[in-house]
Amino acid sequence: MWKEIGDREFGKLRPNLFSNRIKSSRIASLQLSNHKEIVSSHRGSINSLQVDLTEGRYLLAGAADASVAVYDIQRATDHEGDGLIAKHRSLFVVDKQHEHGHRYAISSATWYPIDTGLFVTGSYDHHINVWDTNTTQVVMNFKMPGKVYRTAMSSLATSHMLIAAGTEDVQVRLCDIASGAFAHTLSGHRDGVMSVEWSTSSEWVLITGGCDGAIRFWDIRRAGCFRVLDQSYSQLGRRPPLQTRSTANKVAITKSSSTAQSSSVKSRSLQRKNTNGNSLKHAGLNRYSAQVKGSMKQRLHPGMLSTQDRATAHYGAIIGLKSTGDGMYLLSAGSDSRLRLWDTESGCNTLVNFEITRLQTSKPIQLATTQDSAIVFVPCMTTTKAFDMWSGKTMLNFRGHYENVSCCWYSAQDQELYTGGNDRQILVWSPANSTTGEVDEWRKGQAAALDQDNWSD
Amino acid sequence: MEDAEEEEGREGRRPAAAGLIEKATNSTRPEVDPRLLKAIKSVVRHSDSELRLSAQTLMSLMKRDHSQVRYLALLIIDELFMRSKLFRTLLVENLDQLLTLSVGFRKNQPLPAPAAVASVMRSKAIEFLEKWNASFGIHYRQLRLGYDYLKNTVRYQFPNLQANAARIRQERREKEMRTKEILLKKFESLKANLASIKDDIQSTVDEINECLDIIQNKEDNVPPAPVDEEEIEEFHNAELRQIRLDSLREGEKVQENSENKVIFDALRELYKVLVTKHLVAVQEGISVLIRVEGADNRFRDNTLKELIDIRNHLQSMKRKCEDSGCALAKATTAEEEDIWEEGTLESFANGQSFAEEKNSVLSVASTSGKIEDKTSEGGSSKFTVEKQQGGYRSTESNPLRSKLMAEAPVMKWGSFLDNWGSNRDVLANQRGLELEGHWGRVDYDAVIPAEKIAELNVRATVYKEDPVEIQPCRAPLKKGGLCPRKDLRVCPFHGPMIPRDDEGKPINLDPTEEMQSELGGSNSSVEEMAPDLVEQLVKQAVRNVRERDKETAKKRHHDKQDLKRAKLAKVREHNEAVLRDAALASTSRSSYIGEGTEAASGPGSLARNKRDTLASMLKKKETSKDRLAQKLLSTRARDATVKQLTAEGVSNYMEAFPNQW
Repeated sequence: MWKEIGDREFGKLRPNLFSNRIKSSRIASLQLSNHKEIVSSHRGSINSLQVDLTEGRYLLAGAADASVAVYDIQRATDHEGDGLIAKHRSLFVVDKQHEHGHRYAISSATWYPIDTGLFVTGSYDHHINVWDTNTTQVVMNFKMPGKVYRTAMSSLATSHMLIAAGTEDVQVRLCDIASGAFAHTLSGHRDGVMSVEWSTSSEWVLITGGCDGAIRFWDIRRAGCFRVLDQSYSQLGRRPPLQTRSTANKVAITKSSSTAQSSSVKSRSLQRKNTNGNSLKHAGLNRYSAQVKGSMKQRLHPGMLSTQDRATAHYGAIIGLKSTGDGMYLLSAGSDSRLRLWDTESGCNTLVNFEITRLQTSKPIQLATTQDSAIVFVPCMTTTKAFDMWSGKTMLNFRGHYENVSCCWYSAQDQELYTGGNDRQILVWSPANSTTGEVDEWRKGQAAALDQDNWSD
Repeated sequence: MEDAEEEEGREGRRPAAAGLIEKATNSTRPEVDPRLLKAIKSVVRHSDSELRLSAQTLMSLMKRDHSQVRYLALLIIDELFMRSKLFRTLLVENLDQLLTLSVGFRKNQPLPAPAAVASVMRSKAIEFLEKWNASFGIHYRQLRLGYDYLKNTVRYQFPNLQANAARIRQERREKEMRTKEILLKKFESLKANLASIKDDIQSTVDEINECLDIIQNKEDNVPPAPVDEEEIEEFHNAELRQIRLDSLREGEKVQENSENKVIFDALRELYKVLVTKHLVAVQEGISVLIRVEGADNRFRDNTLKELIDIRNHLQSMKRKCEDSGCALAKATTAEEEDIWEEGTLESFANGQSFAEEKNSVLSVASTSGKIEDKTSEGGSSKFTVEKQQGGYRSTESNPLRSKLMAEAPVMKWGSFLDNWGSNRDVLANQRGLELEGHWGRVDYDAVIPAEKIAELNVRATVYKEDPVEIQPCRAPLKKGGLCPRKDLRVCPFHGPMIPRDDEGKPINLDPTEEMQSELGGSNSSVEEMAPDLVEQLVKQAVRNVRERDKETAKKRHHDKQDLKRAKLAKVREHNEAVLRDAALASTSRSSYIGEGTEAASGPGSLARNKRDTLASMLKKKETSKDRLAQKLLSTRARDATVKQLTAEGVSNYMEAFPNQW
């Protein structure tokens, strides 16, 4: 590590690369944290976890006992065992006792992406509430036609404040916080919608996954969905090799950061085409672009071909969706215990085989990826597994929950993973050699003296 | 070189830990063989690789589909867990799995077959988890999580050993504190009241002394009882002399009469006060002083000394009072009575002294028992009078007695004679009926009723035949003399035994004569009767005899069958008794014992036997023996709970009244 720091100082190592290396090494050593403990104030299973996107400090958790709690994950409320264990108690809890609280289980709790002044909760009591964090009062209330499974707000949106809500109902509704009314009603799914995800590359694109096994892409500026993912429509051969792909991703990231706003999918794909100027792949790329053209054509015609409209991404319900940080790929989890990685440009199944044995099927699950999209964290029954995004190999197994895990959140800032399960616990998984304060070190030494070999004979 | 050697050694030892663990878990006993355990520990202690390997082995053993194997593995895991840090870190990774396999809290993964072992394992696992959490929970989040989950979500009842122990300690401390406080309070009150108590005692003692003085002075002028020398000579044994002396001494004592009745009353009153109030108070004070702590020792010691002196003084006063006859210690009289009874028994043989003996007993008993009765009689004269009366009575009773004696059955001596004719209930303690030499608590409710005692004392006597003198045959022999054969009925040479005179001629007794005459008659008549009739008669007789024979044969057959049946019943009874004994001797592990004998009887190696038994543990079998054992166990459990409850009651009592024990 010191060598790397030296290299960075001499300029041999670029700062970005240096930080990435350190981060990845920290991620590789994630384990159940003994020093950081979130004291769950919920009496039901944790359904949703999110750390706020602005400060990376406040963890919002929604649970099945209709309670929402916010935890400060940076500063502990109290300590135990001579400062060995830092306990994080909830800053506040809103539960059934609250006059405007939800009556039934909260399925989704998300922060307002711009600041921590608001958060949105969706519940099985058919309501979506928008809360003022500081006063813990409901500022807005949307009545939905059925149980709310998932709510989402776009993290890039600058021109709208829409909450996309997936409910029991076949229609996906977009609730406008600005007006307090439903802005859109997107119909196309044939069953309830369990997962909703905004594209991370375009503020207009919404991805929804339904219980009918379809994943639909919507451009909210137009009517109808413009793409339905088909699991049999794959592109294994046309994919650039892994190595170049990951570098390409990085380049794409840097480019996207350098270019001011990449607003449309199309521009994105063009960009991508430019970066992959490889003679060997030209033929494939040509077909690829033809495909894109095809989809473009379909986008012009809202009433899609019925065969395409009936395509399914999974056998069974889509229980989780997650788009990668750069918005180029989409991960979907289905009740058929599969995890699929889709290329958002082409809508192709990349056929990455994730070594998943079983996923829970009854509830939506919440996936998480690392910032550089190298690792995906998936709740698999009682464990959480970390898979390599591109090879599908299992990297880490997080065993700690005693019942099914339903949600996880990766905090890129601290390289920590938070998981919430049906056993009402929120567990913190942190890098093994997490350095704590200097003062604590000595204390820890004292405490560790108790945890030694003790052979009496 | 060294490395290679070490490596080799490790290679050699590699299978050691795993093998040892395998061996240790392949047993049907409820605990791990301590020697194997020690071996495992010593192997694992020196090598981390062994430790890793054993952790793996243990986890794989925990997955076995047999609760016994899992249970033993769990015991080993606990041993290593409490000792090795590496083992802890290894195991904690899979704690949820371990708990699933040992506690069986998941519905879809219940514990495997031998249900008894499984339940033991569950409770043990919960206990272990609690222990681990208490000792290492702070270092392992997984332990805390598992504990929390089982406690708060699945809501298992944890034994909470430490908390319980702490609570009990706390209670005991409180109790001690309470007793101490009470003692201290008593001590303080004693300190305050000591002077007044002493004054009281002193005044009582003075009064008693005065009373005694008065009595003594009054009775001084009464002449001492004359001693009859001749009579003394008649008493031969020491006891009688003792009795005599006692009675004389009794006679010497001042007797209460109308003149000194007031004084005696006063004395009796004072005596009562002395015994019931002062002596008790002093005793209590002494015990308080002995038990109290912390207060100024000098004062305590002094007071103690003083109190002991007072007590001794009081006791001597008490004795004096008793001597003076105003009160009697009941225990001593009872003892004396005992002795007299013995005396009667001993002197029973020589009838001459019996009368003397008896009337002396009477007189002494009456004098010692009831003084008031004889106040009218003079101290010395009364004795002789009574003696005469007694003598008279005894002579009068002699013929009656001899008559009764003649009637009475002669019994062999036995312990039943101790309470011959008594109609009392007998106290029972846990050791049976023996109450002498038993210093423990006597429960006056636990009595054996008199009928029961009588029932218990029913004696079995063996029938004894009266000896019969067998007469010799005494038939005249050819060579002269009489036949010396002694037969009961028939002499093989001379026919049936008949009384004969000295020459050997049979003395004709009536029945034989008659028979002979009858025979003669029949003979004569036979000749007269028709031969066919005779034949018929003979046939009839033969038929009769045959029939009788057949009947007897049938009867004998029946008898034989009955006998056989009885024998079988007896055998069955015996078998049942033996089984019951076996069930009693072995508790819940009766099945183990059965298996053990099975294994011992069967051929095959030890290991195979063990595997057999491990497998057989899975088999469910319900034999009559098991049922019996279960029943017995349940009654035993009931007894145990009853005992525990009573013990609890006692402890409650002790707690409620800490100053009374």
